[in-house]
Amino acid sequence: MFTRGTLIFIGQRVVLIAFTVLAVSSIVFLGIHRLPGDALFNEHLHGEQYALLLHHYNLDKPLLVQYRDFMIALVTRGDLGESLVNRGVKITPLVLRELGISVEVGGFALVFTIGLGLLFGVVASVRQNTWVDYVLSTTSVIGYSMPNFVIASFLILVFGKWLEGVTGGTFYYQLGAWKGDIGQLWLPAFALGFPYASIVARLTRASMLEVIRQDYIRTARAKGLRETVIVARHALRNALIPVITILGPLAIGIITGSVVIENLFGIPGLGKEFAQSILNRDYFIVIGVFTMYAAMVGLANLVVDLLYVVIDPRIRY
Amino acid sequence: MAVAVRVDAVSEPVQASLWSDAWRRLRRNRLALAAAIYLVLLVGIAILAIFYTPYRMSATGIAPDYAPPSLAHWLGADNLGRDQLSRLMIGAQISLVVGVGTQLLVLAVGVPIGLLAGYYRGWLDQVVTFVINVFYGVPDLLVALILVFLLGPSLANIIIAIVVTRWMDMARLVRGQTLALREREFIEAARASGAKPMKMLFGHIMPNALGPIIVQATFGVPSAILFEAFLSFLGAGVQQPTPSWGSMAKDGVDAIQFAPHMVIAPAIALSLTLMAFNFLGDGLRDALDPRSKR
Amino acid sequence: MPTPILQVKKLRTEFETDGGIVRAVDDVTFDLYPGECLGIVGESGSGKSVTALSLLRLVPDPGRVVGGKVLFRNEDLLQIPEDDIRQIRGRDIAMIFQDPQSSLNPVLKTGFQIDEAMLAHGTPKAQARHRTIELLKKVRIPAAESRVKDFPHQLSGGMRQRAMIAMGLANTPSILIADEPTTALDVTVQAQILELLADLNRELGTAIVMITHNMGVVAGLCTRVIVMYAGQIVEEGPVEQIFDNPQHPYTWSLLRSIPRVDALRHERLRSIEGIAPDLLHPPKGCRFHPRCPFRVDKCFTDEPSLEEVAPNQKAACWVTMERARREMGADEIVDISPGAGSGVHPGELR
Repeated sequence: MFTRGTLIFIGQRVVLIAFTVLAVSSIVFLGIHRLPGDALFNEHLHGEQYALLLHHYNLDKPLLVQYRDFMIALVTRGDLGESLVNRGVKITPLVLRELGISVEVGGFALVFTIGLGLLFGVVASVRQNTWVDYVLSTTSVIGYSMPNFVIASFLILVFGKWLEGVTGGTFYYQLGAWKGDIGQLWLPAFALGFPYASIVARLTRASMLEVIRQDYIRTARAKGLRETVIVARHALRNALIPVITILGPLAIGIITGSVVIENLFGIPGLGKEFAQSILNRDYFIVIGVFTMYAAMVGLANLVVDLLYVVIDPRIRY
Repeated sequence: MAVAVRVDAVSEPVQASLWSDAWRRLRRNRLALAAAIYLVLLVGIAILAIFYTPYRMSATGIAPDYAPPSLAHWLGADNLGRDQLSRLMIGAQISLVVGVGTQLLVLAVGVPIGLLAGYYRGWLDQVVTFVINVFYGVPDLLVALILVFLLGPSLANIIIAIVVTRWMDMARLVRGQTLALREREFIEAARASGAKPMKMLFGHIMPNALGPIIVQATFGVPSAILFEAFLSFLGAGVQQPTPSWGSMAKDGVDAIQFAPHMVIAPAIALSLTLMAFNFLGDGLRDALDPRSKR
Repeated sequence: MPTPILQVKKLRTEFETDGGIVRAVDDVTFDLYPGECLGIVGESGSGKSVTALSLLRLVPDPGRVVGGKVLFRNEDLLQIPEDDIRQIRGRDIAMIFQDPQSSLNPVLKTGFQIDEAMLAHGTPKAQARHRTIELLKKVRIPAAESRVKDFPHQLSGGMRQRAMIAMGLANTPSILIADEPTTALDVTVQAQILELLADLNRELGTAIVMITHNMGVVAGLCTRVIVMYAGQIVEEGPVEQIFDNPQHPYTWSLLRSIPRVDALRHERLRSIEGIAPDLLHPPKGCRFHPRCPFRVDKCFTDEPSLEEVAPNQKAACWVTMERARREMGADEIVDISPGAGSGVHPGELR
């Protein structure tokens, strides 16, 4: 499975990702620095202190020099610089820490998405046109039609407010007070993932329906295999192939959705940092976060391409 | 973020029967019809709001802050004592303008690019494909956030940001359609009878790709509305006092503990509208797909 | 006559479509004897495949077996519970299909798919794998030990079909149903596969039901043949007898339309005029009458039933070729067109 060709492929991809990341951060860096207005304008400083500050951040040097220094720091030390707003805060460790949190929430959402989506999709396809199918299918459309913050609001209302007597506030995530407790994760993760679970469910259903009509399923039946075996072993693996195609955009969707969800729940992850930094005009952090995101997207796409190899033996790189 | 993944059928050569056939099939789809009716009503309300709303949407303090729904204020009041219903109606305008506006621009940009890339192939296609892939590599919401903050949050800038981040879906679709259609016999025939390329592209190929294009655009509307709602929720949308369903939802979430009615109205409005467009899009896709099993 | 291992009585299978009900298999009755090779011949839409699928209750939606009996070992296969028919599938009665490319699961190893045929019926894993390799050798696939680990797309068309045959024979079934196993293959490979089937039939004593539209295949392999048209059996009997002296005009036309190497150069290719009947609205009377060269008035109104027209040979025809030869000059006819022999043309088109 992991042939030499595959390893070469991975190698090439990693190089490509690295280049893309550098390219993206360059574009953002240059784009932001050409902004009209003063990067430090909310400091309200004058004279010597202002000049010191400018010097501290290299902002008194010409653009290309700044760019060169930035790139060198990034490539050699992985150093993304220092926060503009909170002096002394190094960006790279900050961003990495927040990345961990976002990955936790996002990962939870992803697992939930794929698991629930596949389950619903398979059940709906096996019980096609029954009430089970209709309920699941309609739920899917509702699911991906609702913005994640609407789902989140609804869940907060139900579990936090109306059922407070029952749950005692322990089941749902208290707004604003992130304690890093895994039990708190489920509500944000659910809100984040449910739209995508719905999409996966729809796609899985459609894909299973196609696969069930195939000749090799008929052969499997003619051999005398049980229906559950046919669905689980013969049908599902083939049905997964189109679903994997969607995993890339899905991962990106979860990444972007996390910006809203983290803000809503006050989870100190990359998404919240991103939105906040833009509001605070902490441009260096913006550049840092964006760079991180570009890397995540590249890695996500690579993982998806590798999944193809695992699932479909006809694909080899 | 709505994921634009579609399994597209290449349309059959346009005949009068395809459209009437599609229309017939669409009419039988009750969900799509209900969705269409809802959307017509929504447009009606949005247009009405140009001339009349129960109260001025920016008038603060005309009701107690956070007042729950009452006869005077059907949907209650928000955190500044403004009438929710009036703001919701104006919000409908914003959503529809963003939704439809972005798609019109996406059509204007994506269709020609897709046609040209798919028809001429060669280096033009390589360049276009490369550009499309680059755009795909970056999360759209993030780019849009940056863009909106660079350019300033206004309705026009939001539309631009959305178009810039989502035009590729249409371009890729049209390119795919063009690539498939250009090999068909009726194109060869047209070419053989000396038709000029422009005429071929816009007179022959595009009309035949119209089905998937319409479906894509229909799905693009809720995608754009959702996008705008996200931006507004994060504070990067249209600025106060102009209401957007997204910013209304944000204010509602902030007050969710003691004034849940604030978040419910925009949440339902958003959900219903997005659902309606999605059901309509589903209906259109089933109606226009000649291979649909019904 | 030994007792038949399979008795099909008045089998009826319908498809519910938007336009109405299609009777794909209409009152089909036949017997299968142990170890024999029975051919079922017919054009597309004649119901031959659906008949085979009906025997094992494998007819896909919107199809349904609506009537008749399929007697196997004193049980009616159409009535036994789901678990029981599952046991029979692949173990006592096996079926192989037309296109080995699409009939094998692309994501599972070939060897495993053959193992499965045995695993499904209780054979332990190691034993199954051992037997799979044995089977692959038996169907003449070279390098069997390494081939088991290959995926279907790594095998050639001929090898895939051999693998399917191995799959079918894994549990040494009493009956092997082969639905057009050679149609998707090269002509040379076809011959090899047929030879293989003949050898296996001789060696293992497995009865073979060979479904095909190709008379040549039947001639080479089968001892008895059933001819189907529009969902009904129109003729049946021993192969040699039918080929020498077909009694149903359809069979006669089929045999006549086979291009011959020794034909005179100026002779046109002969084909049966007309198209396959619309099973939603089958023709009244004899279903073949719109295309039959020897039809008489009665053919337009009354449906003929299978009658014995020679020892061991039955045909469903009011006229039969015997009479057509005697009275209508059948042997001199060049064009197989409706009414060519009998001169009967209806007042209005059906």
